[in-house]
Amino acid sequence: MTETITPFTGFGLGLRKEHHADFLGAEQPVDFVEVISENFMACGGRPLRTLDAVRERHPMILHGVSMSLGSPLGLDRSYLDELKILADQTRPLWVSDHLCWTGIPGHGAHDLLPLPYTQEALATCIANLKLAQNVLERPMLVENPSSYLTFPESTMSEWQFLKLLAEESGCYLLLDVNNVFVSSVNHGFDPLEFLDAIPRSKVRQIHLAGHSQGPEGMLIDTHDAPVCAAVWALYAQAIERFGPCATMIERDDAIPALDELMAELALARETASIAA
Amino acid sequence: MSLIEAQRAFIAEIAADDETGSSSLGMKIYRGAYRERLAAALAVSFERTRRWIGAAMFDLAAAHYILSNPPQSWTLDAYGADFPAALETLFAQDPEVAELAWLEWHMPQAFAARDLPELTPADLAAAELCETDWERLRFTMAAGFAAREVHHDCTALWHALREVAADGFAVAATKPATLIVWRRGLSPHFRVLDCDEFAALGRLAAGQTFGETAALAGEQDIARFGGWFAQWLSEGLFSAVRL
Repeated sequence: MTETITPFTGFGLGLRKEHHADFLGAEQPVDFVEVISENFMACGGRPLRTLDAVRERHPMILHGVSMSLGSPLGLDRSYLDELKILADQTRPLWVSDHLCWTGIPGHGAHDLLPLPYTQEALATCIANLKLAQNVLERPMLVENPSSYLTFPESTMSEWQFLKLLAEESGCYLLLDVNNVFVSSVNHGFDPLEFLDAIPRSKVRQIHLAGHSQGPEGMLIDTHDAPVCAAVWALYAQAIERFGPCATMIERDDAIPALDELMAELALARETASIAA
Repeated sequence: MSLIEAQRAFIAEIAADDETGSSSLGMKIYRGAYRERLAAALAVSFERTRRWIGAAMFDLAAAHYILSNPPQSWTLDAYGADFPAALETLFAQDPEVAELAWLEWHMPQAFAARDLPELTPADLAAAELCETDWERLRFTMAAGFAAREVHHDCTALWHALREVAADGFAVAATKPATLIVWRRGLSPHFRVLDCDEFAALGRLAAGQTFGETAALAGEQDIARFGGWFAQWLSEGLFSAVRL
């Protein structure tokens, strides 16, 4: 996969059904929207009509949660085929998913489960990503997830793993700044060390989101709150390093009125403008 | 331990009935998230059923289902597919529960089913079918078509539970009938058919020809069959024909 993804800058939102009417009823001041791929795969009727109407007005990104790039038994081919159909139909700016695994054959977890950062896991992810990119006929973006445990067998850091994955597979990176922050607190690393190791040429998108306080000082990536001050500060650091980059607010629970998210997006614009 | 062995052990731990004392804090978080996510998916998919049997009973049924039904699909939206069947066993003394849950499951399935064209009377007229063609004609059902036998007025229960718990609502037992769900345009629909009508429609849905189905209706009932067929067409119950 030698294709490239042309950088796209701007500020967008994750489109959730609570805001479909807002987006269908009027032009919204966003530069792009991101939708969850699985919500529109193997689907028709009103959901697909809504997506078609929104993408007539806004560039759109497909963001998946179920590819399971870290599955050593390989990817679900029927999943890939459905994603390919959707991508061909909807012509997204790009297609993304996570550095994780989501289950084993016959038992899914519907969660972004953590990987040990080993050579075996790296080879698995590279092979799966190459297959996915070949089937989709486009390079993908891979996002760093939040995690709540680490593995003693890991032989490299998450950022080293991501860098090698991008170099070897030809993929690009979706940097979730909130996830970097959450994992840095949970595992006690310096988030700036993470950012410093990520190759500038590979970052095409940034996610911003809120998190919540879990047990024993652990942070949980809940997407149910506004972006906190520490994550805004880390976002500024990311923009300083990577330059202007498509930036998006994710909210998946306790979803507020669209105006509230627009205000948060304005803050992202302001932060990026100062930092760039 | 290989990666796949580690992943099998991880899944076994987060899905196990009893938490092992050695679970790390991180593992406890993944374990709790697994249950919460699946329980929430069921509660969202079966809001009316939850109102009817009450949150406590529903949550017990959901916990039982989660233990015995690991997610199989790549989409969480598919997780409740077998929940109505599980309720049939768990609420064997209250069969309307499974009937309601079946309806509640299939309405959104029809809402988001892949698009299919609607077969109209004009399409059939334009096909200029001869008598022999009609004998051999087979039908493809509308998007999201599904059917099941019911013994209660679960459509009344469906309406009663639209926004609030239907305290005091008495669900009426009915003669055995068949509840069908399908989508027309962008809207899902349902209707209850008596046994005779569904005996005919069910044959077409199962792939029997128009000729075979009409013959089974018998000469005496051919006019009734013709009336049903016209109604099915007018309701958008078919998407295509094939010879």
